[in-house]
Amino acid sequence: MSASDMSAVGAALPTLVEAPGSTAEPPRSRKVRWPYTLAVLVITVVVLIPVIVTVVLSFTPQAQSTSHSVFTLENFSYVFRQTQVLTWLRNSLIATVATVVVAVIVAAPAGYVLSRSRSRAISGYALILFIAQSFPQIVSIVPLFVLFAHFNLNDNLFGLAIVYVSITISVATWMMAAYIDTIPVALEEAAWIDGCSLFGGFVKIVLRNSLPGILSTAIFAFLLAWSDFLIAVVFLRSSGNYTLPIGLQTFFSENNTEWGYVMAVSVVVLVPPVVVFGFLHRHFSVGGIGGSLAGH
Amino acid sequence: MTSTQARSTGVISGLARARKGVGLGGRGEQSPRPRRRFSYRSVTLAALVLPSAILVALIYGYPAVDALIESLHNGNLVQTGMFVGLQNYSIDFHNPVFWQSAEFTVLYCIVGVFGSWIVGLGLALLLRQKIHTPGLFKTLLLLPWIVPVVVTATAWKWLIATPASWVPRLTEDLGLGQVLFLTTPGLAKTIVCLYKVWLSFPFMMLMASAALAGVPDDIYEAARVDGASAWQQFRGITLPMIARSTYISWILMFIFCIGDFQSIYLLTGGGPVNSTSTLIVLSYETVFGNFQTGPGIAIGFVMMVVSVLISVVLFRRIRKVQIA
Repeated sequence: MSASDMSAVGAALPTLVEAPGSTAEPPRSRKVRWPYTLAVLVITVVVLIPVIVTVVLSFTPQAQSTSHSVFTLENFSYVFRQTQVLTWLRNSLIATVATVVVAVIVAAPAGYVLSRSRSRAISGYALILFIAQSFPQIVSIVPLFVLFAHFNLNDNLFGLAIVYVSITISVATWMMAAYIDTIPVALEEAAWIDGCSLFGGFVKIVLRNSLPGILSTAIFAFLLAWSDFLIAVVFLRSSGNYTLPIGLQTFFSENNTEWGYVMAVSVVVLVPPVVVFGFLHRHFSVGGIGGSLAGH
Repeated sequence: MTSTQARSTGVISGLARARKGVGLGGRGEQSPRPRRRFSYRSVTLAALVLPSAILVALIYGYPAVDALIESLHNGNLVQTGMFVGLQNYSIDFHNPVFWQSAEFTVLYCIVGVFGSWIVGLGLALLLRQKIHTPGLFKTLLLLPWIVPVVVTATAWKWLIATPASWVPRLTEDLGLGQVLFLTTPGLAKTIVCLYKVWLSFPFMMLMASAALAGVPDDIYEAARVDGASAWQQFRGITLPMIARSTYISWILMFIFCIGDFQSIYLLTGGGPVNSTSTLIVLSYETVFGNFQTGPGIAIGFVMMVVSVLISVVLFRRIRKVQIA
């Protein structure tokens, strides 16, 4: 799925003239250098072995299976029918979407202020964000675990989302600020002259023009919330509230791990971020992390 | 081009902004200050920052204070317990596993930062060559970073953990005997570090690509005219031109490495016999595995102080890195 998205991206790039064996071109030549291409191809395949193995095994019959084909969907049909994977998928989606929405709502105005204000208080806040980023999560977890118990937020997806938002906040704010830096202040000044308030200018001028920055922030928050293990393993207790990364761990056993099922669940975990990334990479090749992830 | 550049290096400019912070001894940018203290403008700006400031106070400020308090008490997850002074710290500092974990944390951070930087920079340079569909390869090479760690740790385990896995079978076929990668301390450490490099090089590749895109081509042309070799161009032009971005990526990666729990925990659980345990894994195990809340939080608090100090010191150095 994502692979087709990505190859579409590849195809959308200027197709380079194929000239095997050509060497020693002038510096500005557009000719493809095949030795380099081959090297990159080999490296990419080697690097991706763990990902390839995951996908292949998820479609491979279990050792004791009666079917003799090399391709099967029975791993997926088992994990979807016999386990709570669908519940975990729903939980992961709830926690992740809540994180993405709140992270953008919180980071966009803060990023705007960081971009536009030059006051000492704000540069002090930028420093606090940097220090917060270097806090080990483990330090926050135990006190929050105790605090959240008072508010019934342990074993709760929204409690989880609150922590995720805070973990993303530093980078998300920097990303929004970096994008808003590229929007000329003159646009807002024109709106102010027309009677628009500062807040109105932020909403009507800046936010409206920040879609790439917002999407980049959203991708970042999505990737972080979707892959988290540490926060979820501490805060979630009942299997009905597990997110996918925690649910996946229940498939491991000391002696007899059913790798087909493990890999099928793994594929369920890996597809959403890859699809989201592939999709947004295609449509928004500039802006924040989208730019740095996908920019050419 | 320059605006794309500015956007794509969002993290860098965010840091550059924080770098001007007064708290670090820098001066805020020279700019006209508002005359009235509580002008409409400053109140609105404060209101816009407020939600983010509340979250930071809740998730970082409060726990930091609370962790300090708990590290001085002998409580558990439910009660704070009695004040015991520095006893928890003394328990940790007399525990050989603590020092062993501290040592591995240092190794892990060094390999994580510089290993992934070398691989990432190398690939970023390679992708700048005239290859077929560079965009496709660049996207595919980001997958180790995009695919969740729970998935890739599982795949790595499948590839190396049991005697029936691919890699141990391969070493056996090569006549190296049966190698049990995750049950031999030295090998387990190597694998954990390799895994971290595999996970992190895409981030370094992105940072390097963004920085390399900002180096003007005509400098290289001038160097070629003067007869500079590829290595001389790399040492004399590329490295100095991307120096600032490189430092920033080292600092960020250091923060990511020292705070990294899941890639180690999911691959080895800190074993065998704590050989791959870093301080954060040890802290987690002490609190949630051995139920020694005080000593566990004390480890976390020590880590917090050290990582904040190191990152602030490194951060101040960024200013001194000037483009040659």
